[in-house]
Amino acid sequence: MPLIGALPQPITSAPLVILIYAVLLLMVASALASVLLRSTVIATGAFAATMVLVALLYLTIAPFLLFAVQLLVFTTVSAALLVGVLRRTTGLESTQEPFSREWIVGTAATAAVLALLVVILASTSWPVRPVNAGAGLGATLTNTYVVGLAVLVVILASAALGGGLLLAAPTPARPRGR
Amino acid sequence: MNVGLNLVLAASAALFAVGAFAVVARRSAVLMLIGTQFMFMAGSIAFVAFARFGLGAVNATAGAAVAIFVGATAVAELAVGLAMAALIYREHRSLAVDADRG
Repeated sequence: MPLIGALPQPITSAPLVILIYAVLLLMVASALASVLLRSTVIATGAFAATMVLVALLYLTIAPFLLFAVQLLVFTTVSAALLVGVLRRTTGLESTQEPFSREWIVGTAATAAVLALLVVILASTSWPVRPVNAGAGLGATLTNTYVVGLAVLVVILASAALGGGLLLAAPTPARPRGR
Repeated sequence: MNVGLNLVLAASAALFAVGAFAVVARRSAVLMLIGTQFMFMAGSIAFVAFARFGLGAVNATAGAAVAIFVGATAVAELAVGLAMAALIYREHRSLAVDADRG
């Protein structure tokens, strides 16, 4: 079936371009902060900020429904799960870790992965072809991916239920001297 | 100055690399799980970017649909992973994944 649609164009509107650049920079920066900071609580906050920034990115380049789901469902459930587990485990304690051999190995592995991705990105000429605007995202999900959507709802409901139970449970008393 | 496929893919690659670093370098189960979330998000962003900027297989919303499924999978993985982290903490009073090594 031939594709009928408009050739996708890059975004050229100056305010939108500036917004997207800012969102991308902040997204990577907050992700870095999340994995580099020693405090698990602050890392969790930076992780939530990253998820919100990804939602903002979706707002600019994807259907609104994806932005809403990312912001209201994925971010909320993930944050609830993380906060619930932190309340039941280390709480506000800092997980101090000195720079160690794992950091050197991790940095090397990350540099290798990033270099590979950059080489692929730079050496590949992605073909651009017309995209059929088609139905909206809601219609695509409810017509084309019905079973997937049902499974997704069950999975998300289970995760949300678990997060709610974790948040509702009383915080365990800490042993003396900890 | 404009925003095209390559810029979003570069940001996606950077996010994936940050996630890989967390998985390899950090010992805290929570931070490793956060790293896997970043890797899932990077994949979602790449799918959305390809759909938005020219490689949508069927229509422009297919990438977003995949992103929703990837996000749900990531949340499910986080729920199971955090349950395992809580069990590790209950046994060893630590969230470090190598806490059982003594």
